[in-house]
Amino acid sequence: MQTQRGNKPDISVMEDLLLRIAETGDRKAFSEIYAYFAPRIKGFLMRGGATAEEAEDLAQDAMVKVLRKAKLFDPAKASASTWIFTIARNARIDAIRRAAKPALDPDEPALAPEEAPRADHLCELNERNARIKRAFNVLPPDQQEVMRLHFYEDEPHSAIAERLGLPLGTVKSRLRLAFEKVRKEIGEL
Amino acid sequence: MSGPVHHPRVETLADFAAGRLDEARSVVIATHASQCGQCSQAIADFEALGGHMLETVEPVEMAADALETILVKAGVDANIILPEAPTQDIRLEKRLPLSAYMKREIDDVKWRPVAPGLAQSVIDAQGYRNGVLRLLKIEPGTKMPLHTHKGGELTLILRGAYEDEVGRFGVGDLADLDSEHTHSPKAVGDEPCICLIATGAPLSFKTLAGRIAQPFIGL
Repeated sequence: MQTQRGNKPDISVMEDLLLRIAETGDRKAFSEIYAYFAPRIKGFLMRGGATAEEAEDLAQDAMVKVLRKAKLFDPAKASASTWIFTIARNARIDAIRRAAKPALDPDEPALAPEEAPRADHLCELNERNARIKRAFNVLPPDQQEVMRLHFYEDEPHSAIAERLGLPLGTVKSRLRLAFEKVRKEIGEL
Repeated sequence: MSGPVHHPRVETLADFAAGRLDEARSVVIATHASQCGQCSQAIADFEALGGHMLETVEPVEMAADALETILVKAGVDANIILPEAPTQDIRLEKRLPLSAYMKREIDDVKWRPVAPGLAQSVIDAQGYRNGVLRLLKIEPGTKMPLHTHKGGELTLILRGAYEDEVGRFGVGDLADLDSEHTHSPKAVGDEPCICLIATGAPLSFKTLAGRIAQPFIGL
């Protein structure tokens, strides 16, 4: 079950690897998860304007969390990529929070929210994820671009507008259209 | 029990999923989503979209010793890792619903009167990007002055109900207003209407009464 660095593996492989880390603390499984995801988290953050050094540090923080929180991964709720995306996103939020308010412990215990009704079946989730990707892939290129930046960038949308040389209103309406289309595609709007 | 009728805008949910909202707004959205299957699903879908972005981005090589550093940071010195036991839902871990921010139950909140029929309690949620998070209690029959929201406002009804130009907002309903909107909500029913409100900037009141009330309200 060797995954090649840089190649997109069968994603169920990634889920198995996370489960193995959770169950037995399998270090080899972790190094495979690392080889695929760490450079992507770094690339993701750099596309969002982070320096190579900041992105490296944050990607390392995120991978530490992946390792330590592997038991929280539930393949019926999210794919490996989605779960690791939320960890990287939260690592970025933590970093900004630490910079804004050094005294606050980002890992403070908190009450968990009530479990909301979600798609519980793995095949249902896989089908849903496939439709989400399809919906994204058929968006016009200009909408794909603003949506990518929406995720990469954590600056206000005005920064995205500036970067693309577009009026803010155009960026906002493209985003709204794009997200509405994705919701429509999965029959949820 | 039927679910909420009024929901956040799709772009607000997309902002939440991408981690773009300030902390005050995140708390309001997370609290609404914890009671709204439809919005919770939309957030999960947009997070899956984030996962897709992560998969398809151009990778950048990590430092040569990064894997070793990560293992050390995680406290791993052998081939066996002992991951943490599950304690909470990772998805909302850093964007907690209101309960995590409240020092006491709603019934025990210390209200500060700000105008006749109006009281508020500010909640500290400034850690990640500054917004203002507050509870507002509107006594039955009290009408707030017409106001707009520079930078937008998210209002979640926690108890009671209010009516404004848009309609009736009951428990779980969320009003997602931008700077284009003006409204003057009036608490309806027998009990006070308690709302959780996130603003990026102070409210701007449009009538004289509002302008007079504003310094007192500290909005």
